[in-house]
Amino acid sequence: MRSTPTAYAWSVLTTALATGIAYLLLHRFAPTNLAMIYLLGVVFVAARFGRGPAILASVLSVCAFDFLFIPPYYSFAVDDTEYVLTFGVLLGVALLTSGLMLRVGRQAETARLRELHTSALYRMSREFSRAVSRAEIVRIAEEKMGEILGADVWVFLPAADGTLAPAPGVTSAFPLAESEMRVAQWVFVSGRPAGRGVENFPEAGALYLPVSGTRGRVGVLGVFENEAKGAPGIERRQLLDAIAGQLALALERDALAEEAREAKFRLESDRLRETLLSSVSHDLRTPLATIAGAASGLIDGDRALDEATRRDMVLSICEEADRLNRLVNNLLNMTRIESGALHLRKEWHPLDEVIGSALTVLKRRLGDRPVQTRVAEDLPLVPMDGILIEQVLVNLIENALRHAGARGPIEIEAAERSGEAAGDREVVVSVADRGPGIPPGEERVIFEKFGRATRDPASAGVGLGLAICRGIVEEHGGRIWAENREGGGAVFAFALPVGRDAPETIEESEE
Amino acid sequence: VSAPGPQVLVIEDEPQIRRFLKATLGARGYRVLEAPSGEEGATLAASHNPDVVLLDLGLPDIDGLEVVKRIREWSPMPIVVLSARGMERDKVAALDLGADDYVTKPFSVQELAARVRAALRRAALSKGDGETPVVAVGDLEIDVARHVVTVRGKRVRLTPTEFRLLATLARHAGRVCTHRFLLEEVWGSRNAGQTHYLRIYMRQLRNKIEESPARPRYLLTEMGVGYRLVDE
Repeated sequence: MRSTPTAYAWSVLTTALATGIAYLLLHRFAPTNLAMIYLLGVVFVAARFGRGPAILASVLSVCAFDFLFIPPYYSFAVDDTEYVLTFGVLLGVALLTSGLMLRVGRQAETARLRELHTSALYRMSREFSRAVSRAEIVRIAEEKMGEILGADVWVFLPAADGTLAPAPGVTSAFPLAESEMRVAQWVFVSGRPAGRGVENFPEAGALYLPVSGTRGRVGVLGVFENEAKGAPGIERRQLLDAIAGQLALALERDALAEEAREAKFRLESDRLRETLLSSVSHDLRTPLATIAGAASGLIDGDRALDEATRRDMVLSICEEADRLNRLVNNLLNMTRIESGALHLRKEWHPLDEVIGSALTVLKRRLGDRPVQTRVAEDLPLVPMDGILIEQVLVNLIENALRHAGARGPIEIEAAERSGEAAGDREVVVSVADRGPGIPPGEERVIFEKFGRATRDPASAGVGLGLAICRGIVEEHGGRIWAENREGGGAVFAFALPVGRDAPETIEESEE
Repeated sequence: VSAPGPQVLVIEDEPQIRRFLKATLGARGYRVLEAPSGEEGATLAASHNPDVVLLDLGLPDIDGLEVVKRIREWSPMPIVVLSARGMERDKVAALDLGADDYVTKPFSVQELAARVRAALRRAALSKGDGETPVVAVGDLEIDVARHVVTVRGKRVRLTPTEFRLLATLARHAGRVCTHRFLLEEVWGSRNAGQTHYLRIYMRQLRNKIEESPARPRYLLTEMGVGYRLVDE
């Protein structure tokens, strides 16, 4: 509690007030009793404003008392030493009371802080328990610690190879020098605190605490005090330890959850691999069997086969080879998507061009089947990887071809509309057919790997095409979906976000 | 006895592919020369001076691109590159190094034969006066010298840039032109990298020339590589 000039003013005022009251009572009471009024004033000032003002009040009180109420009046000449005692008592009371009040105040402040910290810790642990990822835990820790400690905080987590690195996403204002990293690493290895205010590495800029859970150390907490303070007090150290403990628990819990997830994923991917193997081997063998059979038939039954049959067999060899090629492409693409090796090379493309080039790729398979394209003329350029989006269109059109029936029409549309978030625009491309449509309830499943509509006899070929479409579209930040059309058939559509700052079309007059 | 057909040098390490190329190209009247490696290919190209080279990009000894470079050091002979799908960057690199065209594996013989024919045609033309006076495909006619473009007999009005672009494609009709090549020819080298300009102008050209711009018949897009004006 620091005394302000106001407090000293109050001290003077209180003494003046006591003097006023004493003056009014001067003729009815003995001077000794008048001193009591001053005592009251001094106690009040000591309790309310602390030591300095209290001392001032007691000095002023004794002076005033002596000057006004002790004969000879209006002079400081003190005949006997009697009133020295009065002064002593007043001063003693002032010191005692103010000291007492200071302690009480400090205790109250400590209690208040402790209460604040406890509730903050509680809030932090509650948020920790809701966090679903390491990144989120780190974010919460950083945020809450900033709130509680008023300090900048780094959370260090070990990488797979055991070296420590600042958790990604932490944006502390405290610059992280190489030397600081070494201290953090030391703390992680030794398990002892180091840095400012403690025994080890006191020259470091921050205080580093080990974050240890039940299964060993999970990280290091770096605390950078904004104010140039010395060692943190015992209270603060306890608080820091409590925070480190909670952080350790949260990180450990997350690690366990991650392990469980991984185990589940391994199980699932085992199952998936099995499906993949059986599906792929079936889908590889079918065209291979056709090719081998037809080719050997052509050698063997040379004379027995008429010209039309021979031609038919050659054609089926070509078709099945095509199918094999598509299958291999799909497998390659799927592998790329799954392993995260799909690197988008985004450029500004007009969608009509991509649609046109997909149709060119499929020219032979389309034959003279009716294909209707409705592309809005003022479609903006869209940032995309042209090769991959062409692949999406090829897969969607092939899918439509499989279901549309031998001569069924295919309709392709592209239009711009407002996106899901306010102010965003997107371009929606759809491929529609008049086939049997999607079995109810399977509108989402078909985009899963091998999720081809189960009872659909028309879907030959590995069920990868649509999963690849989804992978590519989602990599572009877009969405893909399927639904049944009114009047029969299915429509597959995807939406790509229209980027900002699309290049302008250049105006130029004709010759 | 008819005149001997054009000579094709096939540089390809897979014997099965060489075998069917030899059979099918031979049946179409080409004389086929085979090289199983890049080194041998480059040597045979120098010693036999073939009319056209079919070059696989994935060779075991030296990079196919290196073979393109070596041949281009001394000869403009047409080179058609054979390359797998998804290797667009390699194709573009080969084309920018001077290869004439490419075919994506697996390809049909018809497709390959069309590319080889186009490459031979261009080689014959460039030995002549160099300038293509008129390109006529289907209903499209481009008279480069007179700056006249007609579709189904009707004159098409083009902007100067549109015409330069179409004329460049016409001079290389049947052959794929990479983005970089077109940007340099039409806009000058400083705009290389502004591929979206090219795309915008191609869209405008298609809207003026194609009956159905979303199903182009003349101006084909080779995604990730460039554009091709069909010539047959």
